[in-house]
Amino acid sequence: MIPVFYEMKNAVIGIAGLGGLGSNVVVALARVGAGKLIIADFDVVEQGNLTRQHYFLDQIGQPKVQAAAHNLAGINDDTEVVAHRVRLTRDNIPGIFSEADVIAECFDLPEQKQMLVETVLTKMKRVIVVSASGLAGYGNSNAIRTRRISRRHILVGDGTSAAKAGKRLTASRVGVAAYHQANAIVEAIVDGA
Amino acid sequence: MEHNNPKQEVPMLKKIRVNGIEREFDDLKPPLTLTELLERLGIDKATVVAEIDGRVVECERFAEAKLSSNSSVELVCFVPGG
Repeated sequence: MIPVFYEMKNAVIGIAGLGGLGSNVVVALARVGAGKLIIADFDVVEQGNLTRQHYFLDQIGQPKVQAAAHNLAGINDDTEVVAHRVRLTRDNIPGIFSEADVIAECFDLPEQKQMLVETVLTKMKRVIVVSASGLAGYGNSNAIRTRRISRRHILVGDGTSAAKAGKRLTASRVGVAAYHQANAIVEAIVDGA
Repeated sequence: MEHNNPKQEVPMLKKIRVNGIEREFDDLKPPLTLTELLERLGIDKATVVAEIDGRVVECERFAEAKLSSNSSVELVCFVPGG
């Protein structure tokens, strides 16, 4: 496939977590012609995930990294996918994502989001992290925005909409945030900023 | 109350810039560290990435991260969902 941007062909992007955010971010990045995606997740696909995560009925029970790698190969076989079925920690993040230019924080729990972003900003040099916070519910698409927090940290979301009982995650709104993340990554790589 | 340090009796005005907004702490116990600031703001420290004057502070060092008057603090607070 002819890449949309040649800068993307040389890019290495890490994806931390393959749930509602990560499983959609990787699809966008493969379509844009990302050269290499390093994907990491410890979980398996469950039926309930299909309400918002980019997997299929016949993938229930498969490790998410395996299912995502298969789906990406069906979209763009020029995108190399390196899969790590692992629980990411402060200690293993720098090694697993050592080649990455940009890392997408796609976790669900706030403590894990904190851990990933803090580790990238303090333990890794030059890597940009694109995180997400505040994307539960539906509607109010325009409250989700992309902000540059600092030179190496870009934050997506409305900042406040937490997932909880009565405020569920929906494909339509998580998707808005995931594509904000993917779009910020493309911008950072193509513009070199 | 101890009177051997008369300065402590005068309410000190401590200004700390948090996410671009200046906050004034004019009581006798202004927050001296990042941990104390987060407690005052009611923020769970396990969900925050913090910078003081442009430098990221690891959360295990929040208790020893000193705040002086005119410190500029950036807090990114994460909420569940992904």
